[in-house]
Amino acid sequence: MSIKRRQVLAGSAAVGAASLASGLAAPAIAANEPLKIGYLPALTGPSSSTGIGITRGTELAVKEINDAGGINGRKIEMIVRDTQSDPTKAVNAVAELTQRQKASIIWGPLNSGESLAATPLIARDKVPMLHPCWVDELIDVKKYPMAFRLAPTASQIGAGANRYIVQVLKKKKVALIGDTTGYGTASVNTYLPMLKAMGAEVVYSGNVDAANPDLKPDMLRMQSGGAEAIMPWSVNAGFLARICNTRAAMGWDVPICGQTTLGSGQTKALLEKPENWNKVYANNFRAVCFNKDGKLPARAEEFVGRLKTAKVDMGDTLLWWIAMGYDGAKLIADTVKAAGDKATDVVAYWNKLKGWPGVYGTITFTPEQHNGFQDDEVIMCEVNSLKDGAFNIAPGYSS
Amino acid sequence: MWESIASYGLAVGAVYAMTGITYNVMYSASRVFSFTAGMLGMLGGVLGALFIARWGLPVIVGFLLVLACGALIGVVTELVTVRPVLKSIEQHLYVLSTLAFALMVQQLVAIKWGTDAQPFPRLIPIGEGLLDQKFWLPLLACALTMGGLEFLYRRTLVGRAFLAIAEDSYAARALGLPEQHLRMASYALAGVIGALAGFTGAEMLLAFFGNQSILNFYGFVPVALGGMGSNRGAVIGGLVLGVFQQAANFLVGGIFASVAVFVVFIIVLLLRPEGLAGASLARRV
Repeated sequence: MSIKRRQVLAGSAAVGAASLASGLAAPAIAANEPLKIGYLPALTGPSSSTGIGITRGTELAVKEINDAGGINGRKIEMIVRDTQSDPTKAVNAVAELTQRQKASIIWGPLNSGESLAATPLIARDKVPMLHPCWVDELIDVKKYPMAFRLAPTASQIGAGANRYIVQVLKKKKVALIGDTTGYGTASVNTYLPMLKAMGAEVVYSGNVDAANPDLKPDMLRMQSGGAEAIMPWSVNAGFLARICNTRAAMGWDVPICGQTTLGSGQTKALLEKPENWNKVYANNFRAVCFNKDGKLPARAEEFVGRLKTAKVDMGDTLLWWIAMGYDGAKLIADTVKAAGDKATDVVAYWNKLKGWPGVYGTITFTPEQHNGFQDDEVIMCEVNSLKDGAFNIAPGYSS
Repeated sequence: MWESIASYGLAVGAVYAMTGITYNVMYSASRVFSFTAGMLGMLGGVLGALFIARWGLPVIVGFLLVLACGALIGVVTELVTVRPVLKSIEQHLYVLSTLAFALMVQQLVAIKWGTDAQPFPRLIPIGEGLLDQKFWLPLLACALTMGGLEFLYRRTLVGRAFLAIAEDSYAARALGLPEQHLRMASYALAGVIGALAGFTGAEMLLAFFGNQSILNFYGFVPVALGGMGSNRGAVIGGLVLGVFQQAANFLVGGIFASVAVFVVFIIVLLLRPEGLAGASLARRV
């Protein structure tokens, strides 16, 4: 069974969650108790496109494992609670999963806003937690010793874009622009010193209201400062599309490099011409991008084959979301298989995890570092190259 | 630079001016400062994109439907948020029920339409650059609105009845004018103007639920600058605001442009609280 957006939206959250849970959890035919994993996706609301994509991967992993007999004979029972993109709902769901359902491990929440609210509560209940959210502060081995991340941090995301501009494209003069949201201002403040430390000259840095209909004044400032690349940090598709459109109207062909929303369908829909998306590069991940020869890395290619066999829909989502969802459930299953489901054993196993080969990335944890994603796996992709949910790696990378 | 200041400044200014007129038309009929003007502008863009881009209706049908929806929402505003309040209180310059209604509609739009900005179709593809509809359509709509209102208020009996209510509602009622019906008609007219502002400015501002708060504020500024109730003042104030805002974008840039607008706004209100075009009221003794 795969989740379709319309199915999720059609039913109530409770009904959706219940049907999902029953679909994921096979009847307890094994002698042992099923392994209870609490799963907190946003299946409805503004963050649901990510949640639905990740859930397709999670679902596939659980199905494969259960079809193969489970973990040492134990089936996985995924207890799903739709957070509805609402931190308050996520907090309520955490209390239910950790205290009433006695979930052994929590997978999620899947977006930072919900994780910021949920992580302290999961830590208080001493349940191991694995999540894919980017906000740096979500991982703190002293405050949250049982929380682990299998995705990059926001700093790694910014550093990936900075490396591409400065080291791959060899551009030294950079314009850094954010919107006036907390994300936009924090990103500009964080990435500006990082760029300078790499030897780049930041010829423009500033924050502009995302609703400003005309970005030409600020982009003229960038141009007159000699900017060789523009780095916009915003999740507002309108703001990002206006940057692309204004660049084209100015007849300026500098590269634009930034966050993944640059490559979203919402941004594409707001372009005045399709070619305004040329030379626009967004964050992506080496393990799930087409290389220069148009091929996916071996692990991803084999994974896509299984997705097709399982008839998992990739047309309206992204490969890296599905791969991340698959990796989350698979890593949990591998952990329980090797170390059991006792919380301290799970954490001890993860603290020594080295080079775990996921589809989305290779994960390594240490007792001091619970951010498992590797810096060099964060790369840039060509936003106008989307095919089967994956993008081409941006030009200039050696492999 | 000058071309950009003039084109964007005047176009955005025309949208602000029409939003200001929307405030004025509602205020004149009820002496209530309704916070639904920005909501009407936001809906003009969102409904236009929905009818024309998403549902594929012909442009003229979509346009007329948007205006009809604006009129309907204007009537609902009067019936639900203004009339019950006017019955029960004497002093009612700012009626918070209108703000509550506007916020409720905005949340509904966010849920049903989405929180991302979405494209508004190019309706009249006659050229690029300055010929693009996003620059001239709001100005044309503003001029037609102003001309239409002048004709209505000065040449028609209904328009004079509107003015009579605006001037002295008690005296107008004593003369037998149907105050409630005229007030409802004024709110419908305001709905049409507000929706027209949003519709004509939507290629520039996009179909975005967040435009409500922007238009609510920047539509209020020309009213305050031009004098409450003065449509001519609102048009001049709106156009000046748009050009000044765009010039500030070039001169100081980024978020400082908004700061510059606020500073000038505060200074003008301190120097002339009644607005640049408003007349000082004599205190009755």
